[in-house]
Amino acid sequence: MSVDPLVADEFVTFPLTVDGVPREVTARWSESLLTVLRDRLGVLGPKTGCGHGRCGACAVRVGVGPDEPHVLCACLVPAATAVGATVETIASLGGPDGELSDVQEAFLAEGAVQCGICTAGFVTAATELLERHECPSRTEIEEALYGNLCRCTGYGRIVAAVESAARTRRERKDPVPLTTRKLTASLRTGPEAAE
Amino acid sequence: MLLAAPRFALPETPEEALAALAERPGAVVVAGGTEMMPDLLWGTRSADAFVSLRRVAALRGVTVDDDDLVMGAGTPVSGLTTAPDAGLAAAATSLGTPLVRTEATIGGNVVSALPYRNLLPTLLAGGARLELTSATGVRTVPFDGFITAPGRTRLAEDELLTAVRLPRHGGFADYVKVGRRNAQFVATVSAAVVSRDGGVRLAFGNAGPTPLRSDDVDAVATALLDGRATPEDLRAAVAVAVDPPEDPVASADYRRHALGVLAVRLVTRARTDGGPGA
Repeated sequence: MSVDPLVADEFVTFPLTVDGVPREVTARWSESLLTVLRDRLGVLGPKTGCGHGRCGACAVRVGVGPDEPHVLCACLVPAATAVGATVETIASLGGPDGELSDVQEAFLAEGAVQCGICTAGFVTAATELLERHECPSRTEIEEALYGNLCRCTGYGRIVAAVESAARTRRERKDPVPLTTRKLTASLRTGPEAAE
Repeated sequence: MLLAAPRFALPETPEEALAALAERPGAVVVAGGTEMMPDLLWGTRSADAFVSLRRVAALRGVTVDDDDLVMGAGTPVSGLTTAPDAGLAAAATSLGTPLVRTEATIGGNVVSALPYRNLLPTLLAGGARLELTSATGVRTVPFDGFITAPGRTRLAEDELLTAVRLPRHGGFADYVKVGRRNAQFVATVSAAVVSRDGGVRLAFGNAGPTPLRSDDVDAVATALLDGRATPEDLRAAVAVAVDPPEDPVASADYRRHALGVLAVRLVTRARTDGGPGA
């Protein structure tokens, strides 16, 4: 991108890796990561909802410096402070050729998508939750998704979808549920063995 | 320095940050950006330049020494939600959302200096001190008195807030706030308590132009803890001590009333939940 020399001091150029692809960005130093992703790089997974960190429609997972990658609101981050960062949008969650992730499948199966503007943010936040908690309670799910707003108010189905995705993950990892194993063990040897 | 431009700097050490600030007079020091970016979006503030502290690793993290919990000014609020101070943890947990807390910092909360900021009553009740660093060294000042008006502090132009020191104690600490709704709300008013060794120290948010505490209120609160005063006494003492703002969110009368309620609530919790340390 060519920059008018009169406003050159408003621009900075820096690298970002977005969904695994190294990109070189030239943007105003005060521009948000969301603006850079959508308007300069054409990455449209993160949505512009409120633009000030309330709704989570722009949630992406960012690895900056030595920090563990974590989900944040792209609208609140000055993009130039993320020099060299790795940014994973909703496009990083599915497989190649548009294959959906298990969380996305659960959202579809549970009818957790209405108008859709919040969905990428919810799926991004829910995916991070399930990486940290294999078996989150309903309260933990609600706390983890507290920064994501659904303007269609479809929260019941969204929470159900996250519960369903968590259950499916546990069943895949361990086809015999824990409660069944405990019961079997206690029948065999008495209650002490179940602990 | 990760990136340096005439009007932008991304330093990696406090020394680089101070130098970058000296070279860019009038630059806004940005930590997480969670306050600055909305302000720019809405045009409520402008910035000639940014000096970002986001990549200064030395400013991020919490350590404990003999006396204090020492929080680097760039520590994200998400790093305080499990702090070994229940008041600080409660204030951090009720700040913004999980997606904001990973970027919002304790230093930004302090230097933004608005009376409704979540962490401020906790720091005032806990007797926090601030480490201010310039090219000539570090000075440590009490948090009490650091904020002089909404958005204004005693931080000099060539200084950075580098750490917040909160004294450790074995007592009871808590924080409460009320707002216009129960989710993602800015405090209409807020209050924090530290109760230790039989003495209660309260501090209030949005009870005046700056975070506010009062020896008179603490004397009545301590008497309430001991059963020598009534809740009505404490509400009356709070009503005299505070000078809350009147704005479209709430009237000064409502705030004065709510601050009394919160004060009684916190002292009641200290009495019932505080244990022998309180």
